[in-house]
Amino acid sequence: MIQVEQIRKSFGVVQAVREVSFTAADGRITALLGPNGAGKSTTLRILATVLRADVGSARIDGHDVTADAMAVRRRIGVLPHAAGLYARLTARENIAYFGALHGLGRAALKARIDELIERLDMQTFADRRVAGFSQGQRIKVALARALVHDPSNVLLDEPTNGLDVMATRALREIILGLRNEGRCVILSSHVMQEIGTLCDDVVIIGAGQALFRGTQQALRDATGETDLEEAFISIIGAGTE
Amino acid sequence: MVVLLKECRDNIRDRRTIVSSLSLAVLGPALFAGLMALVLNTTLGEARDPFTLAVAGSEYAPGLLEHLERQNLTIVRVDEPSPREAVESGRLELVLVIEPDYGERFATGQINSLALIYDTSGMGTTRRNALMTRQMVQGYGQKIGSLRLQLRGIDPKILSPIVVDEVDTASPAARALTILATLPYLLVLVIFMGGFYLAIDATAGEREHGSLEPLLSQPISRLQLVLGKMAAASVFSALSLALFLLSLALSIPLVPLHKVGMSLEIGFQQVLLMFAICIPLVLFGAALLTVVASFAKSYKEAQTYLTMVILVPTMPLLITQLLNLKTNAWLMLVPSLSQADLISTTIKGDPLNAVHVVISCIGTGILTAGLAWLAVAMYRRERILI
Repeated sequence: MIQVEQIRKSFGVVQAVREVSFTAADGRITALLGPNGAGKSTTLRILATVLRADVGSARIDGHDVTADAMAVRRRIGVLPHAAGLYARLTARENIAYFGALHGLGRAALKARIDELIERLDMQTFADRRVAGFSQGQRIKVALARALVHDPSNVLLDEPTNGLDVMATRALREIILGLRNEGRCVILSSHVMQEIGTLCDDVVIIGAGQALFRGTQQALRDATGETDLEEAFISIIGAGTE
Repeated sequence: MVVLLKECRDNIRDRRTIVSSLSLAVLGPALFAGLMALVLNTTLGEARDPFTLAVAGSEYAPGLLEHLERQNLTIVRVDEPSPREAVESGRLELVLVIEPDYGERFATGQINSLALIYDTSGMGTTRRNALMTRQMVQGYGQKIGSLRLQLRGIDPKILSPIVVDEVDTASPAARALTILATLPYLLVLVIFMGGFYLAIDATAGEREHGSLEPLLSQPISRLQLVLGKMAAASVFSALSLALFLLSLALSIPLVPLHKVGMSLEIGFQQVLLMFAICIPLVLFGAALLTVVASFAKSYKEAQTYLTMVILVPTMPLLITQLLNLKTNAWLMLVPSLSQADLISTTIKGDPLNAVHVVISCIGTGILTAGLAWLAVAMYRRERILI
């Protein structure tokens, strides 16, 4: 469960996030939808406790991201924009490093990694060094790493970026699986098709502001458009006027 | 601890970097010993090597020749029509020319001028040999002059109211010690080089590859994270230092120090002692490298900064040498300088001043803690990601 209340964040003179509020429920996939530079990544980074909001607050499972950052970090799994793996370590070692940082014991860690390797279909490359991996393989390793401590909240920053059709499909299945396990999944994207097939709730962010919050159906009803893309354009257009 | 292990493993995987950063530690002392052996051999040679002097017209001055032959040099009697040409063409290095009328002038008490022909444009020992020849000939001349004065009943001392006594204290051993004095520089450099790449990789490298962001969202305090990275850099610094000392202990016995009556014992005990003395410096180096590399956004940028930083610890060494400062307790507060001083003392086999050792540890330790604190503060700021 993720609650965001009127957060604001500027970098120097640039206002990356002006006013974003939304709630992402457990067992649902919430999409942060918006054009490039709208503030999606910044919002996710604030939730991931690596940036601090200037104004407003965000709580994850009731823990404040600034005041109680440690508790938040234990409850989130983050797939950042760049996978950010260690090229000289194997896939397994990359995952194990974060698992160890979460305080998992050796045996528990091994069992968990084996489970993730199986589940994300990584058997063929699990013990190879990450240097030279394809984008799809990288995303899988990064996702496994984000899930190693079995977090109840998962933050995915443009997870399908740079993936081919097959890899996208496989990833979609995995994300749906995460939802069905009752996790709260937030993903940012600007790919309409992905949102349409994957997400339950949509938060549209334009120019640092949350312009719409609701289910996909609510979005269609509000705009009178049947096509998601048209609905998105109409919201964004209204917001920037 | 987890961070430490991961960084070490990560760094070990990078074979080429490891080899390049540790090779200085291994090869340094070997080069060092080689240089010392070379200097010892040439300086030893300078003092004692007999040299060859060609003499043209030797038959005209048997007395002089006899005198010269008693010195430590080999006389080659040559019969050159033009000694000057022989030198110019390089056939001879140094020729003393005695004219046919030498005997007659000698007997009648006239001045005899002897030409000493040599070419100093080349390297080598010609200039020195010429100087020595001149001194020998002059010595002979003075001896003869004194004898003549005595025959006339005059004290020869009247000709030398003032005598200069030159005392050159630069024994070959002292020259070898001059080289030895550069050892601390090398040591400091080796310590810093050991942690160099890891420090960059663990900070600026992590930033560049985008792995810092997910790392910072892990439930680990910034303090632990920074200390882990510094500890990893320290491990490699210490490894580099250990290799250096080991290599030094193995190569120093190969230097012919016994020839100059010097003994330089770098045994197991000294190695351990030097290692212990340098541990605070190892930690200091790791902290300094980590802090500076944390400022950099990319690997390249960090490399540029750190190359400059590596020069910093050698500065105090240079400055004190230039200003000719004597060891005192205050200087012991300065990292790198204090260790360098303690190391030289150890090498010379002198006993260490315990107070100095303690001050050195404390001074360096405080600065290390300050740097660590600075690094943690940097990692607490979100700017580290932007």
